[in-house]
Amino acid sequence: MLASTLISILVVSSIAAALAAVLVVSERFIANYGPCKIIINEERELTVQGGKPLLSVLTAEKIFIPSACGGRGTCGLCKVKVLEGAGAILPTEEPYLSKEERAAQVRLSCQVKVKNDLRIQIPRELFSIREYVTRCTKIRDLTHDIKLFRFQLVEPTTMDYIPGQYIQLQTPAYEKSPAPVYRAYSIASDPAEKGIIDLIIRLVPNGICTTYCFNHLKEGDEMRLNGPYGSFHLSDTQAPVVFIAGGSGMAPIKCILHHMKNTQNQREAVYFFGANVVREMFMVEEMRQFESDLANFRFVPVIAKPQEGETWSGETGLVTQAVQRDVKNGVPYEAYLCGSPGMIDASIKVLNELGITNDRVFYDKFA
Amino acid sequence: MKQGPDEQQLDVSLRASTLVAGGFMGDDLRSVTEVIDADAGELFRLGMTLKELASRMQEITDKAAPAQGLWVEIAPGREAQVDETRGSSPCPWRHQGRYFKRITTVRRKDSDEVLRWSDLGMHMIARHGFFEGKGSMFRLEPADLVKMLF
Amino acid sequence: MNLSAEIGEAFVVFVAAIFTQNILLAYFLGLCPFIGVSREIKAAFGLGLAVIFVLTVTTSLNWVAYHLVLVPLGLEYFRFILFIVIIAAFVQFVEMAVERYSPFLYQQLGVFLPLITVNCAIFGAALFMVIRDYSFLVTIGHAFGSGVGWFLAIMAMAGIRQKLATDRIPRGLQGPGITLILAGLMALGFIGFAGVLQGR
Repeated sequence: MLASTLISILVVSSIAAALAAVLVVSERFIANYGPCKIIINEERELTVQGGKPLLSVLTAEKIFIPSACGGRGTCGLCKVKVLEGAGAILPTEEPYLSKEERAAQVRLSCQVKVKNDLRIQIPRELFSIREYVTRCTKIRDLTHDIKLFRFQLVEPTTMDYIPGQYIQLQTPAYEKSPAPVYRAYSIASDPAEKGIIDLIIRLVPNGICTTYCFNHLKEGDEMRLNGPYGSFHLSDTQAPVVFIAGGSGMAPIKCILHHMKNTQNQREAVYFFGANVVREMFMVEEMRQFESDLANFRFVPVIAKPQEGETWSGETGLVTQAVQRDVKNGVPYEAYLCGSPGMIDASIKVLNELGITNDRVFYDKFA
Repeated sequence: MKQGPDEQQLDVSLRASTLVAGGFMGDDLRSVTEVIDADAGELFRLGMTLKELASRMQEITDKAAPAQGLWVEIAPGREAQVDETRGSSPCPWRHQGRYFKRITTVRRKDSDEVLRWSDLGMHMIARHGFFEGKGSMFRLEPADLVKMLF
Repeated sequence: MNLSAEIGEAFVVFVAAIFTQNILLAYFLGLCPFIGVSREIKAAFGLGLAVIFVLTVTTSLNWVAYHLVLVPLGLEYFRFILFIVIIAAFVQFVEMAVERYSPFLYQQLGVFLPLITVNCAIFGAALFMVIRDYSFLVTIGHAFGSGVGWFLAIMAMAGIRQKLATDRIPRGLQGPGITLILAGLMALGFIGFAGVLQGR
């Protein structure tokens, strides 16, 4: 009786154990992809352990591909050209790749698993992107829903950026967001002040990052960011400039103005800043300071509808209407825009009507 | 109830906070399809179709957008405003297309009632019949929507 | 029994498993993924194929394990545990292999494998094999037929639900409720097949 019980237990347990062993062994052989070679831009070669998504492999090698969702396949920003070795497009990638992109062999690097040797192509600018550990050293209220955040670069201590570029700020996991996410913000600080990065952030209802920055972030807290990204910058010409930006869109313009002052740029420039009501105006003193520091700069704040009780003697109406009134001959101008897609589209229409062609209009849509 | 992998994926996407803080389901414990079915029934009871509702919402957004943040009257006693922030997000249902972070707010001039929707929210109502889970900040009750917009 | 008679019996059992002894509509096994996944035709198709594959192979493996290991040792009562273990291990192994060697196949049916790992239809087919004392060939016919019958049932249900998608269903019956009612009606239809055979 006892013997048969023991034998039966032994037999069934050994069968189960044998099956488990088969699974473990087969996992080692089947799921183990061995070392894989990745050739980047035909010039750089990496050898990595296979099995991981391409995005995390590249990040581990300090090559930062833009991503807002941390590799979970929900933002569609981590696009990389994979010329060889990627296999068929996965259903999880399809929604984010247009027909032209698929033809050009663009893939979502967070969905492509490194299973064999790959040949990929990455835009050159991405190589100068680093991840920075920073400390928040100042939080300053600008309006009821916009704040200026100053971050001191701790490691590495300096960032080489072109005025107009942006960084991706990492929001850590907190009650409203179980995993870190990244959001893009333009650099607003003076490039001559090395070692700090200023960001102008506007509170968005239910925004993951802005809610964190406004409600949880304190001076002294550590934050991570990576960058610099973006191709928005002042051109090398001497053409007169029209800046149009409202709200947090002022950030890259302010950075460019600092740069113009630092390099004693003599170009004529006018900045149209649009806001709905007077209390949404900010940094007016800084802009007036630029008017006296720069050779030929005018700051034109435009209030859409001044409310009762607010005193306002400047321009009123939509910012695009103010541009129309002010700019007499648009042809020689270059325009730099920063703001929401709607504002940019409306501005481009007005600028075209004034004679500024699209090749002279530059903007950072952050789309 | 067992869900297919696509539906599981959708459920995870909607509950995760990767696009919007708190996700799209709020504290609703029902599955996505239950939420959609329940709201569809509600809409039927109100005598409204998704198509009519969605096109009215789009009409209001299109009317208020050129004003770039100013209030525009869209019906007697109702005004709307469109506010934009930078960035765009994809739809949790994973198909082509990105939706800009544009929020349309509609209010009654004679009371405090306010309704808000984002471009993405409007798309999810129009195309997927999804009004968001109860407890989600941007959830729109079909009854409230119909009352305010028509 | 000689070979041709066995093949004949296997074929009869195969047809029976699809129509008169449909594992889902006559025995109501495997209802859980059936209700959950029958909303979309594409998903139902992938799941149905996965069930056919897993049913056929695991039931055959279980026959081997039962007749070559348990019976000689007199341990028939362990079949419940052993069948489940074999099914689970097999499904795990297949998922791993498919993901590695065919990402396309993985997306089509591999993603459904975790859903049916411990599914009473798969387990039930193995138990039927024991109860009815099928030989190996007949077991293959029985398992393959059960899989095809299950596939047929879920495809039919997906088609019906597709047609119902725009109809107004009373609040309490939305989703699983109406699906169960429909499954009952379909089962009634299939009882007709059994009735035909009985009448002869």
